[in-house]
Amino acid sequence: MDLTLSPAEREFRDAVRGWIEANHPGREPDGDRDVFEFRRAWQRALNERGWAGLSWPTEYGGAGATLVELAIFYEETARAGAPQMANVLGLAMGGPTVIAHGTEEQKQRFLPPILSADEIWCQGFSEPGSGSDLASLKTRAVRDGDDWVVTGQKVWTTYAHEAKWCMLVARTNPDAPKHRGLTYFLMDMEQDAVDVRPLVQITGEAEFNELFIDEARIPHENIVGGEGNGWPVAITTLMHERAGLAFALQVQVQIALRELQDQIREAGAAGDPLVRQRFAQVFAEAQVLRLNAYRGLTATMKRGAPGPEGSLGKWHWAEVNQSLTELAMDVAGPRALLADDAWTYRFLRARANSIEGGTTEILRNIVAERVLGLPRGA
Amino acid sequence: MNFDLSDDQRTIKSTARELLSARYPLAEVRRLALDDERGFTDAQWSEMVALGWPEIAEIGTVEMIVVAEELGYALAPTPLQSTWAAGLLGADVGDGRRGAVVTDGLSADAGTADVLVDWDGSVVTGASVEPVRALDPTRRLFRVSGGEREPPSGDVDLERARGQAATMNAAESVGVAERAMEMAVAYAKERRQFDRPIGAYQAVSHACAQMLLEVEGARAAVYWAAWALDFEPETAPLAVACAKAYAGDAGRRVPRASLQVHGGIGFTWEHDLHFFLKRGEANAHAYGEGTAHRERIAALAGL
Repeated sequence: MDLTLSPAEREFRDAVRGWIEANHPGREPDGDRDVFEFRRAWQRALNERGWAGLSWPTEYGGAGATLVELAIFYEETARAGAPQMANVLGLAMGGPTVIAHGTEEQKQRFLPPILSADEIWCQGFSEPGSGSDLASLKTRAVRDGDDWVVTGQKVWTTYAHEAKWCMLVARTNPDAPKHRGLTYFLMDMEQDAVDVRPLVQITGEAEFNELFIDEARIPHENIVGGEGNGWPVAITTLMHERAGLAFALQVQVQIALRELQDQIREAGAAGDPLVRQRFAQVFAEAQVLRLNAYRGLTATMKRGAPGPEGSLGKWHWAEVNQSLTELAMDVAGPRALLADDAWTYRFLRARANSIEGGTTEILRNIVAERVLGLPRGA
Repeated sequence: MNFDLSDDQRTIKSTARELLSARYPLAEVRRLALDDERGFTDAQWSEMVALGWPEIAEIGTVEMIVVAEELGYALAPTPLQSTWAAGLLGADVGDGRRGAVVTDGLSADAGTADVLVDWDGSVVTGASVEPVRALDPTRRLFRVSGGEREPPSGDVDLERARGQAATMNAAESVGVAERAMEMAVAYAKERRQFDRPIGAYQAVSHACAQMLLEVEGARAAVYWAAWALDFEPETAPLAVACAKAYAGDAGRRVPRASLQVHGGIGFTWEHDLHFFLKRGEANAHAYGEGTAHRERIAALAGL
C-alpha cells in the first residue's frame, strides 16, 4: 500500500498544475449557449495539449495515461476551478464504449472528433416507459436495405440539443427475450426525423431533453458491438459512467465541502455542536468516497475494466452530495427561502443524484446480486 | 499510488485468517467467552507470542491493523489488542508480557495483564483490579482503582500512540462488521419464507448491500489512517478520527442490521451473532466515542 504519488506521478501533477495555471480561461459566462462554447474552447485547448483523451490509447489521439494520472488530472482541474470539458458524455462514456466494442473503422471515424469537440455526443437510453427497467425499452429499429429505420421516444437526453451523435439503444428483435433483442447504434442527430425538445427540471433549467424519433435512418455500419448485442454494450457505457464520472464527482464533493464550511461560518453556526457533528459525518463520508474512488482505480488497473463495485461509489456519492446540500440548507436560515441562492440550486439539483445514472435502488440490486451473490428479486 | 495491500501484507492477512479460523471456531469463542475463567488459554497466547504478533507494530501500523481486522473477523478472545495498546502507550510488554490500558477506571484484560498503563501514558502499579460483568463477554473487563501512577517518560509520542490504538480498534470493528455481514448474506440465501429465499426481497437484499457499503467504507478509512500514521504524519490525526468514527459506527450498525436479517433466531443466546453485536458495540465506546472523534474532525478541518 502506498497512497503517495510516485516521482513520475508527481511530475505529471506539477505539469498539469502548471499548464492549467497558465491557460485557465477564468470564470464561466452566464447563459447555456455561452457556457457550452466556453467549455468547447477549453476542451480544444486541452486536446491540443493531448489531454482531452488522457487515458485513451495513443493511436486514437489519447495520451495512454494510467488511471492514476487521470485521477490526478481530475483532482487538479477541480482544485483550480477549471471548466468541465464540453463533450463529457463522449469522453467518459461513448468513446470508451467504442474503444471496447467498436470496429477499427468506427474507432478511426468517431474517436478524433469526440476529442476535438467537433462532434458532441448524447445518450439515448431511458424512455418514458423504461427507466430502471432499461431492457424493456420500446424504441424500434427495422432493417431497410443498408439502413435501419428507428421510431420511438427517449428522455433525459443530456446535451441532445448540442449533439451530433446519440448512443442509441433500440429493439431490433421484438421476438427475442428482452435483453437479447437490443442493438446499440450511433445515430446522427442532424436529421429531420429527430425532434429535440427541452425538458425543464425542478431547478427551472433545461439540462436534459426529450427526443422524439420518427423514422430516423441509421446506416448498418453504425451498429456498435453487433446486432442483438446491445445490452452488454450498454452495460459497458453504464460501468464507465459510474466508474469514471464517479471519480470526477467525488472531487467536486471535496470542493463543496470547503464551501459548506464557509456557509456554516457565515451562518454563525460553527459553534453549534449538532452542526459540527453533522459536518464531521459528511466530512468523514466524503473521505471514504475519495478513498474508495482510489481503491477502485487500483482494482480497475489490475483487472483492466471497471467492475460492479462502481455501483457502490455512485450510490454513496449521491448520498453524500445530498446530505451535504441538506446541511447547507439547514444552516442557511432565511437565505434558504431564496430561489437564487447558490445552495438552494445545489440542494434542488442534488435530488436527481439518486436517480440519474442508475437509481440508488437499482444500484443496491446490482450490489446485492452481483457482488454479494444474493438471489435475483421477484 | 497503490491502494492495495503489498504481497507481504497479503501473506500476513491470509496466515492470520487461516490460523485464527483453525484456533477459534465459534464453538471455541463461545467456550472461552462463557466458560473459561480467564477468557483465553496459555497455549493460545504462547502461539501468538511465538508468531511475533505482540511486536507486529514494529513492522508497521498497516501490518498491525491487518491482523487486528482478522482478530475481529474471528472474534478471537485474546489479550493481544490490549497488549498492543499498552505497548504503544509505552508499557514494557516484551517477552510475552501482557498489558492493559485503563480508561475512566475501566480496563479490558487488566486481570491477566502484567502491566497496566493509563490512556494518559502513566504506568499504574499497586491498583485494585476487580472483575465486572461486561457487555461484551468475549473480552474480560475490570474496574481499576487506587494504586500509584508513574508519569510517562516522554519517550513516547502519545498522540501517535493513541492514534495507533484507536485505528487498531477500528480495524477490529471492520472485521466484526464483515463477519456479521457474511452471516447475514449466508442466512438470506438459505432462509426461505413465502416460498423463496428472503434475500430475494429487496427489503432484505438492500439491507445487505448497505452493510457492504459500510464495511468497505470503514476498511478504506482504516487503511488510510494506518498508512498515514506511518507515512504521512501531518494527515494522521484527521485520518484516525475519520477511521474511528466511521468504522466504530459500522462495527455496530452492521451487526444490528444483521440481527434484523436473521429475525428471531438472531435474538437467541444460542446463535453466535450476539457476540459480534456486543463486540462491535463495546468497540464503538473504546479509545474515544464516535462523538468525540467527530468533534475532532470538525476542529481539524478548521470549523
